[in-house]
Amino acid sequence: MTVLIVDDHPSFRASARTLLESEGYQVVGEAENGADAVKAARELRPDLVLLDVQLPDIDGFKVAEQLRRLVDPPAVVLTSSRDRADYGPCINVCGACGFVPKADLSGAAIAALLVA
Amino acid sequence: MTPAWRPWLYFGPAALIAGGLAVALTATSDHEQHPGQTIALVLFVSSSFILAGLIGWTRRPWNRTGTLMVAVGFGVLIGVLSEANHPIPFTLGALFGSLFIAAFVHLLLAYPSGRLLSRRARVLVGTGYAIAFLAPLAESMFAARETCKPHACPENLVLVSHDHAAHVVATALWTAASVALFAAVVMLLLGRWRETTPGLRRILRSVYLFGGLSIVLLAIGFVVTPFSGVGAVFVSVALIATFTTVPFIFLAGLLGTAIARGAGVGAIFSSVPERASPDEVQEGLRSALRDETAVVAYWYEEDEHYVDVEGNRLDLPEDTRRRVVTRLDYGDQPVAAIVHDAALLQEPELLEGVANAARIALERDKLLVEVRARAQRYRALLQAMPDLMFRISRDGRYISYNAPSERDLVNDEVIGKLLWDRLPVDLADRVLESGRAALGGDPSVIEYHLDFEDGRRHYEGRFAASGDDEFLMIVREITERKQQQEELEASRQRIVAAGDAARRKLERNLHDGAQQRLVSLSLSLRLAQNQVAKSPARAEELLEASREELMQALEELRELARGIHPAVLTDRGLEAALEALAGRAALPVEIDCVEDVELPPPVEAAAYYLVSEALVNITKYAGASAVKVSIGQVNGYALVEVVDDGVGGADPERGSGLSGLSDRVSSLNGKLVIDSPPGAGTRIRAEIPLE
Repeated sequence: MTVLIVDDHPSFRASARTLLESEGYQVVGEAENGADAVKAARELRPDLVLLDVQLPDIDGFKVAEQLRRLVDPPAVVLTSSRDRADYGPCINVCGACGFVPKADLSGAAIAALLVA
Repeated sequence: MTPAWRPWLYFGPAALIAGGLAVALTATSDHEQHPGQTIALVLFVSSSFILAGLIGWTRRPWNRTGTLMVAVGFGVLIGVLSEANHPIPFTLGALFGSLFIAAFVHLLLAYPSGRLLSRRARVLVGTGYAIAFLAPLAESMFAARETCKPHACPENLVLVSHDHAAHVVATALWTAASVALFAAVVMLLLGRWRETTPGLRRILRSVYLFGGLSIVLLAIGFVVTPFSGVGAVFVSVALIATFTTVPFIFLAGLLGTAIARGAGVGAIFSSVPERASPDEVQEGLRSALRDETAVVAYWYEEDEHYVDVEGNRLDLPEDTRRRVVTRLDYGDQPVAAIVHDAALLQEPELLEGVANAARIALERDKLLVEVRARAQRYRALLQAMPDLMFRISRDGRYISYNAPSERDLVNDEVIGKLLWDRLPVDLADRVLESGRAALGGDPSVIEYHLDFEDGRRHYEGRFAASGDDEFLMIVREITERKQQQEELEASRQRIVAAGDAARRKLERNLHDGAQQRLVSLSLSLRLAQNQVAKSPARAEELLEASREELMQALEELRELARGIHPAVLTDRGLEAALEALAGRAALPVEIDCVEDVELPPPVEAAAYYLVSEALVNITKYAGASAVKVSIGQVNGYALVEVVDDGVGGADPERGSGLSGLSDRVSSLNGKLVIDSPPGAGTRIRAEIPLE
């Protein structure tokens, strides 16, 4: 399964890549802001976008909506160092499959969201 | 029988007896040519004086005019003794027969009080009595030979000689002395007439006219008699005519005025309207007393002094010859007083009648005048107040105003204008509404602003009823207070905003720093966990990286906590906290802290952040080589000063750091002064009250 990681913190991108690859995911790209994320998704056509909510330009919810409008849209999983409760209903209405707190990130957690 | 009637008791019978004797003496006289005429004349003149005198005496017991008139009457009767055929009464009659003329002069000069008030008058009267005795004495001592008809005169007991020359000299001498005396009397009367007040002149007029005429005729008679028999007769007739008129004129002067006018008092007062103003009452009094200068004074109990009809303070003048004060009291309680012409004292009935009538009116007026006096006082008080003030009628018209500073008047024209002529419509409506509320017993305050050429000014208007149909608007400028309020409000808002910004920054720092590190740590640990079985060496590597991450997270959390509140300030006080700040600073900082300085925690925190922020600014912008920080405490103020030797030119408007400091200080009612001339370093000084 191909993955695009979107986050403005390089350390998180590196950790996430290592973690997901060790569980069999194929990380095809990284982006550090919303605009780059949409561009990369259009070019790389990943199966999954791991999307940070807090980005320097546009927030993750808006990015998720734009991704959903692409031809053959990727599955989107939102992530954040904040808790899910901090964002309320936004996560359900933006078209994302779900939310994983950064600290709980693992291949299994993502797989569980995709199956559901 | 009242004591006032006593004169009649003694002098009435005495006069009858004396009159009877006079008739008997004259009728039996052997040297009287015209006994009938003489009797008629003597009785007429003497009884006129005695009757008029007794009436005056009883009606005015304290006035000696009546007594003097009685004396003149008896004086006339004494002269009749010279009709006696016996030498002793004849001689006595000749010697004392002229005393009545001196008494008459006495009467004239003592009028109207009956007392000789001036030294000159006393001297003249004394001289008169002396001449009236000495002249007949001299003439009798050197008498002409045979003057009596039809029979010779009785023996003259004081005769010295019948020498003709001596007789002429004596007669001439005493005639001259008498005429001189009469002239002096007439001069004195004329002088008095000129000086006297209009009120007194009214009383004196007829008395002086007829009395003076009698004196002049007497003088003429004295001069003419020795030379011309016809002239003497003519003068005598005129003299008798005036002389007998005089007592009645005296009496009229003494009583008549009151009789003539007594009826007028009531009439005058009834013509004063029922609800007359104090001014009208004073006018009524003036015409009743026929004294245009009379002044009514009302007792003002509150301040214990008299006031005039306008309510102004009036100190009663001392009594003088011309002006006297008649007090109208109820028992010991003053009600009012009338300051009037002294002449009115001669008309006590009039004065008393008027005073009684006036007392009632004045008692009522006193209330009115007291209100005026109070109003006067309030007016004076209002004028002394530093506030702008307007009296406005119920329908919104300006009645009067008091403006200590013309700059607060939107328009110089005030009185007679309507609120809407001078103020913006909505403000005029508000003013009238508040004014009417005040009239309804609900005083209120409004705040408003007006735009002047030099800017907007804020005012506070207070309202109070000042009458049934008018209210007072008291205006005070509050521009300064308003500006301070606005500044305080703005600085509070900036503090709130700064607090929000600080929390946002803190959240961001937490998120970007420690939290990210902990996230990484969590992921590293998960990776290590995955690798423990497969590759223990890789797992150990990951654990080492995790520990490193954890150390950094801890350091960032410490740094953040210090930013929220420095622990050293809480634990060890301001001086230690400042030392710690100085230790971390990038340039040398000298701390000069007064020993044992103990400031309230908010002031300590403000001082700490002031220094901290100042050091950040200095490091960033000042290019300084050294900084000195002083903390002191003077007169209930904490003083914090940060001085550097940098480039200066710091502008509090430009950087948010300095304005944030200013807000922090002003939130504690303190004052921040930044002195930063270009090229000469920067001095930041804060004064914060400790209360």
